Formats: sequence, structure tokens, C-alpha cells
Amino acid sequence: MQTVERAITIPAPPEDVWPAVSRSDDLSTWFGAEVELDARPGGRGVFRWPDGTERQAVVEAVEPGRRLSFRWLPFQRTPEGEALTVPSTRVEITLDAVPEGTLVRVVEQPAFSLPATLQTRAAATALAAIEA
Amino acid sequence: MKRDRTDAIFSALADPTRRQVIRALSQQGPSTATGLAANLPVTRQAVTKHLSALADAGLVTATRKGREKLYQISPRPLTDAVSWMADLGARWDERLAALRDHVAGFRRR
Repeated sequence: MQTVERAITIPAPPEDVWPAVSRSDDLSTWFGAEVELDARPGGRGVFRWPDGTERQAVVEAVEPGRRLSFRWLPFQRTPEGEALTVPSTRVEITLDAVPEGTLVRVVEQPAFSLPATLQTRAAATALAAIEA
Repeated sequence: MKRDRTDAIFSALADPTRRQVIRALSQQGPSTATGLAANLPVTRQAVTKHLSALADAGLVTATRKGREKLYQISPRPLTDAVSWMADLGARWDERLAALRDHVAGFRRR
């Protein structure tokens, strides 16, 4: 579970879904935060949540109509206006045309990798869950 | 700067040797740095350093045993890290459902 993977099928072609995942106005309607994203490699993203939390991201890769990846910077501003270091993760959103429309896949993973295999005991199980 | 607890946990676990130490501790049970170093390809001094980093992140706890310290795993932070990832997944479930509704609404307009 080191990697969070989620997917949904949307009854619309990828060209209709792409603006929704790459344009600031569209992102702001569903992301849960007000989003300003410069969807170009190296572009900045600023995400402001209703509770006052603010996080920033850097766009890593863009294939229009197909793939967008960004990396969260390992800091956030708390609602109290303090700087807080948080785990750095990378988010990759891919769109694939399927007969029903578009398969949208999201992979978010910590920006480090853990090797596989672990057994026994509660802690080992938890570590295995992180590594899986 | 303040540090999120999960960040401290993930940072501590980002080091492969520290993961080996955790793994060895989980297999051997409570151990001293000397006991751990015997089964790891690093010196006792290095193990001690890693153990202290792991203790800072709350991943291991130490109790004194004679001249040495006895370390054991504290499973709670690991469980926290797992639930942090579970929360992350739940947030994406909500977002993707909202994305689908957004695109559907857009197409209806």
C-alpha cells in the first residue's frame, strides 16, 4: 500500500476529460481545493483548501490528453499560518480511452521506494503494507 | 519548522539501512545495538545511529539494559503511516467521483 492507486471510468472521451484534470478552473471544482496550476513541465501548482491549508506542487510531466504528473512539495501552510513539513509524494493522472469513455487512473506514492518482502508480527505487517 | 509526524516516519523509513534495522528488530524481537549489528552488514556504531533516528521518529523505543539499551519496535507510528495512506486513497475516491460529476455536468451544458 506504499502506492495509492485509484481509478474511475467517466462516460466521456479523453479530450473532454483532459481539460477537467489540467485547467485550474476545472480542477478547482472537483479537487477539494482552489487550484492554480501551470500544466507545463516545471510549472507550479498552488492548492488552497477551504480550511486555510495551502500546498504547492511542481508539474513533472504533461502529455496533453493522456498524462499529467506533479510532485507535492514537502511543505504545507497550516490553517494557523505555520509551515509544516509533510511527506513528499508524486501524483500521476493518466487518461485511457475505453469503450465506456475514459479510464482515469491516479497513482500517488511517496517520493521514495521501499523494497518488497516482509513477514511476521504486527509491525512487520504494517511495514509490509507500506511496501506493498 | 514544524514537522508532520507522518513525514518524520516516512523520512526515517526512506533510508534502506533503517528499514533493515526495523526488519531485523521485527524478526529478532527486542534487541541491543550489538545484537542487531551481528545480523546486519553495518557496524554497531552505524546501527546505534540509525536506532536513534528511528527513536526520534517514534518508530522504536529504548529501555536501559545494563550498559546497553534494549530497543523494540513501537508499532503505532507504522500503523499511523498505513492509515495516512488509506486516508490518501479515500480522498482520491471522493475527488474522482467529483471529477466524474464535473465532466458529466459539463457535457450536459
